[in-house]
Amino acid sequence: MGWPWNSHEAKGLGARRVIVTEVNPVRALEAVFDGFEVMPMSEAAEVGDIFITATGDINAITLDHILKMRDGAVLANAGHFNVEIDVAGLERVAAEKRRIRDYVVEYRLPNGKRVYLLAEGRLVNLVAAEGHPSEVMDMSFSNQALAVEYIVRNRGKLQLGVHKLPDELDMEVARLKLETMGIRIDQLTEEQRRYITSWGLGT
Amino acid sequence: MAYKVKDVSLAEKGRLLIDWAERHMPVLMKIRERFIKDKPLEGVKISASLHVTKETAVLVRTLVAGGATVTLVPSNPLSTQDEVAAALAEEGVHVYAWKGMNEREYYNAIGFAISQEPVVTMDDGADLTVTLHKLALGVKSSETNYALETAGDRDFAKLISGVYGGTEETTTGVIRLRAMAKEGTLRYPIIAVNDSYTKYLFDNRYGTGQSTWDGILRATNILVAGKIVVVAGYGWVGRGIAMRLRALVHVG
Repeated sequence: MGWPWNSHEAKGLGARRVIVTEVNPVRALEAVFDGFEVMPMSEAAEVGDIFITATGDINAITLDHILKMRDGAVLANAGHFNVEIDVAGLERVAAEKRRIRDYVVEYRLPNGKRVYLLAEGRLVNLVAAEGHPSEVMDMSFSNQALAVEYIVRNRGKLQLGVHKLPDELDMEVARLKLETMGIRIDQLTEEQRRYITSWGLGT
Repeated sequence: MAYKVKDVSLAEKGRLLIDWAERHMPVLMKIRERFIKDKPLEGVKISASLHVTKETAVLVRTLVAGGATVTLVPSNPLSTQDEVAAALAEEGVHVYAWKGMNEREYYNAIGFAISQEPVVTMDDGADLTVTLHKLALGVKSSETNYALETAGDRDFAKLISGVYGGTEETTTGVIRLRAMAKEGTLRYPIIAVNDSYTKYLFDNRYGTGQSTWDGILRATNILVAGKIVVVAGYGWVGRGIAMRLRALVHVG
């Protein structure tokens, strides 16, 4: 045993690290350039204190990963469905299970370690808190209201398929949001507008 | 049955929550002012499967102000704020929602939304749209069986052919609906609200980024500084979570 800060545990505790796991090489590269560590989940599982899934896919954290985790690891999901953490696998192998707090369940694993699952692996922000703050839902739901109006105004005319809301409505939401925040922006001059919409003007 | 909520006596508390949200949603309130004047949704029946939160209540009130009749069911079995559901029920919205539904109750709610014969659907995760399509196409599953318990015996193919269109709030739902469109099973047009710049660049990043930490901290009250955090997935949500974490503990 050396000084605590030389030990493996102290290194883990002392270092504030954010690790990102990805399957998409472009996103992984972005994460690296944004200043985060990137590694496979099988390695991250061994070192993390808090795990948060946001993949939109199933089994981002498998039972194998969970069995590798440190004692006391916290598991939370931010993705839409409760499929990202293998909760069923965890339930199956757990030697013991108890609810510690409203949204925290402790599982004792066969290897003696304990992990803490938040909000049953469902959307932690909506289950344990109140979802997104109103200011941001202001924009999302303004888009919803305008989308419903757009559907009703254009009934029978929209092509079958999945469409984006027209850009001018999207921009209108941003314009109104800025206005309500008291923030003003520049307008293109006539000269600038002509320059940026023409292809004939070069060097 | 006009509504089914946990406890309608929670309505006063719900109204205070909704008032607070309205105070912080000025753009939607501006749209509401226009809706009150123009009534663009007069006589339109809308069924929405959205998280039953105070912000959703502000949206629902806005749609009602535009002339619509709105049915609201959850888009997650655990995300309903019972106070908000009570307040909306008291205002005449057809709410079928309470916190802590089991799978059967959840799809009963979806079936109830379908039973109101909407001409516009609103979704967060696409459960309502997908279930309506399954019923219209005769696809059987435990979900559709539960939905049928409340949707009743009706001509779902005819119902779906009367739907003008639907909206979808989130990435997961858009992916499901694009898969349906590609396969040729989609029966009405969808506006992917998620794909608006003023949605995904803000909601998915700043909204989920902050509220995910809010949820984790409220649930556990643990100290984040000094911890090793693993974020699986670096889409808009994942980067929002990582970015907010950096703000919480000043990590590089």
